[in-house]
Amino acid sequence: MTGGKKEASDALDRLATALVDDVLTTSDAEILAEFREDGGDPDQHAAEMRALFERSVLASNKSRLKAAKAGVARAKASALSSTPVDMTKARELLHGVLKVLPEAQRLTLAARKESELSDSDVVGLLEDLRELGVAFPDDGTDGSN
Amino acid sequence: MQSGQEKAARSRDDIAKAVRELTPAEWIRLRKSAAFWAAERPISAKDLLQEAFARAMDGRVCPADVGIVKFLAQTMRSIASGEGEKIENKLLRVSAGASEAVAQKVLNFRDPAPGAEQQIVSEETVVEIRSAMLALFDDDPTAQVIAEGLMDGIDGEELRALCELDVTAYNSKRRLVRRRIEKAFPKGWLP
Repeated sequence: MTGGKKEASDALDRLATALVDDVLTTSDAEILAEFREDGGDPDQHAAEMRALFERSVLASNKSRLKAAKAGVARAKASALSSTPVDMTKARELLHGVLKVLPEAQRLTLAARKESELSDSDVVGLLEDLRELGVAFPDDGTDGSN
Repeated sequence: MQSGQEKAARSRDDIAKAVRELTPAEWIRLRKSAAFWAAERPISAKDLLQEAFARAMDGRVCPADVGIVKFLAQTMRSIASGEGEKIENKLLRVSAGASEAVAQKVLNFRDPAPGAEQQIVSEETVVEIRSAMLALFDDDPTAQVIAEGLMDGIDGEELRALCELDVTAYNSKRRLVRRRIEKAFPKGWLP
């Protein structure tokens, strides 16, 4: 903004500030009289403004609801990923599942001895099996318990 | 517990309750305030008021000792000031999720380049607006001095003394200035 324009624009801002100040300090009777003089109906205007406000409240509520839903989803996702796994149960489950799998799959999945599998290998294998569609009893390793 | 330095703030529900209880006269004050803040900017008084409502509902702090009309008027001033800066910078920086009103504006937003340039008021225009306003009081030198003094940021008390008016007469003259400007520029100050 150039200096001249800034100066002129600031002058209009200062004028607006002073005029708003006057609006805020004008008595009820005067402000109502002015409004009527300009052809307005104060009650109708108030009703319109209230409706405008209620629309804003509604929009804000919708926005808050959306944010709350997103927050719940985030919290749920975080809880799922951080649920502790009982590794003894997980190893037992893997052992049981491997026993009932067809031999070809069993050989592939248990190329290493089960005892050599790390905890994360066990959990990873169970997740892989679930993704492959292998059904096994509720085991407490999927975080749903 | 609240520390001595922290001011109590109205809750969201308190703000909503206070707005719902506004009288017709207070609604008019809000609408007129909106009109003055929007007068020099490319935003309508109604949009400005609606955006102030949205911000009030979305967490803008309203000190408990500030009246709701004054709070909303200050919020509108802050929004209007931001609108002016955005246009001056030829940038439109809004968070589409800030409120439904803003989201709607973003959805309806046209290519910023030509629109923004059209909205940028030239220096000549601003100077012309100022001159046109002062010309409204060619028949009333005292009112003209007050209008010019208000534009120049002269303190009200000092201005009153300059015009040699008592408080009542000064307030009455200032009101005359406001009413003439309202009537001369019913749709804002921009051409």
